[in-house]
Amino acid sequence: MTQTITFTFNGNPIHCEEGQSIAAALINSDQRELRKTRFGDEPRSIFCGIGICFDCVVVVNGVANQRSCLIEAHDGMKVESAQ
Amino acid sequence: MIIVIGAGPAGLAAAEAASRNGSEVALIDSSSRLGGQYWRHRSKVTGYRSNRADEIFAKVSAAQSITHISEANIWSAEREGNLIRVNYLQGGIESSLTAEKVIIATGAYDRTLPFPGWDTPGSMTPGAAQSLLKGQGVLVGKRIIVAGTGPFLLPVATGLAEAGAEIVALIDANSPLRWSLSPLALLTNITKFSELVYYVRLMRKFRIRPHFGRAVTTFANGVATISAVNSGFHIKSGKSQAMRADVVAVGWGFVPDLSLGGILGCAQRVDSDGTVIFEVDENQLSSQPQIWIAGEATGIGGADLSLIEGEIAGLAASGQKIRHALLTERVRKQRFANALKRSYPVRDGWREWITSNTTICRCEEVKSQEIKDSVSELGAEDSRTSKLFTRAGMGLCQGRMCSRNVSEIVSGITQCAVTDGERIAASNRPIAAPISLGQLSDGKNSR
Repeated sequence: MTQTITFTFNGNPIHCEEGQSIAAALINSDQRELRKTRFGDEPRSIFCGIGICFDCVVVVNGVANQRSCLIEAHDGMKVESAQ
Repeated sequence: MIIVIGAGPAGLAAAEAASRNGSEVALIDSSSRLGGQYWRHRSKVTGYRSNRADEIFAKVSAAQSITHISEANIWSAEREGNLIRVNYLQGGIESSLTAEKVIIATGAYDRTLPFPGWDTPGSMTPGAAQSLLKGQGVLVGKRIIVAGTGPFLLPVATGLAEAGAEIVALIDANSPLRWSLSPLALLTNITKFSELVYYVRLMRKFRIRPHFGRAVTTFANGVATISAVNSGFHIKSGKSQAMRADVVAVGWGFVPDLSLGGILGCAQRVDSDGTVIFEVDENQLSSQPQIWIAGEATGIGGADLSLIEGEIAGLAASGQKIRHALLTERVRKQRFANALKRSYPVRDGWREWITSNTTICRCEEVKSQEIKDSVSELGAEDSRTSKLFTRAGMGLCQGRMCSRNVSEIVSGITQCAVTDGERIAASNRPIAAPISLGQLSDGKNSR
């Protein structure tokens, strides 16, 4: 019933079910670290899971500060950790 | 028309009740599906008494006068004469909707406390673990510690176990003996025992043993320190143990999101547990005319209370009669909600868990030492001044995660209790969700 789609995270292909959030797809692919922090260069992942904390922000198709826990992954999407 | 904001238990009950006399309802929610956080699901709601969700989803979907506006993030609201305008982003497009009446049912999110390692990947809220599982079908880890305080830890731990995770420990910092402080609430809510029995059965099935009077006090490299704590959350010396886990899901009850009602000027007060909530009258009407508020934003109380408050708000806003029995039922549920607050308090002792290098503000990466220095070196006397010196609470989450904790830390140093005014100020924000200037100026879509 559910279709498999593919997007890229920092250039690597990630396969997931259609309708899954970017964060869910990445964690399901054992990619827990989503970005490094601006000042301390510390790894961060999903924290609140419902769009409140902004810890899981990534760059989606060039647009920064997108909450990966809320945004659905789409086929061909280009997702990157914030620089 | 009535705009209902939020499609969790309170918002659904409000929309359904208002539609009974044919009132036009616009039900706005940020998710693609009905249910909110509590009834989060992919194809079907599961868990304790999930049939309640099926019933109300069916009623709301069948009601001709209810329009569901999904995946809409409301970023502000304003009065326009006798109308209220709600501005939202949907699929990157800025739109707005006006109505004579608004019911706010925006729910709550997990309350968190800082501890060394709470900002490393693998540490998350129980709500995050739950939403990934229920909403996305993804299990966050293999060996999981569920900790913090409150009854929400039970569905999270049993749900994760059911999905195949090993629950290394289920840990509540408070003692269940605290329930003995609330005999009347227990006697008048006997049905709650069946909910407890439901979870105890599941815990037996998955061999989850609960531990009390303990807390996760550090997490690093897949190892959590579990410390024994006393009733004030102070660590008991020499009683710590290390446990291996790839995920620690730690939550300390809930905080309601007050942003929208705050923007509209709805009066607030500090609840018995220190949480800032809205003042409402017996019909759930806020201090502002034509604005009703239901659910967690009027006091954390869970889905049962939210359903009743939502129904009352929906009936009141649509001008229908409210049965006396409904009001009595709310009193009974509120009594239980107050017992929950009494049974699962969050005590100040957590401030000793943090070290100078512990992150307090996750967004701006402000460490505990910087907040202490802002008080002792720079003379900050409250969290607002400390925030100006350190940037704690000035990041993308707008202080939703840390502002309450910063207040408590500053108060611990100055030895001055956090005032109600400070608590209320720290719970309000000028906009409800971030919006870019580009989105604001592009294609405005009014209805």
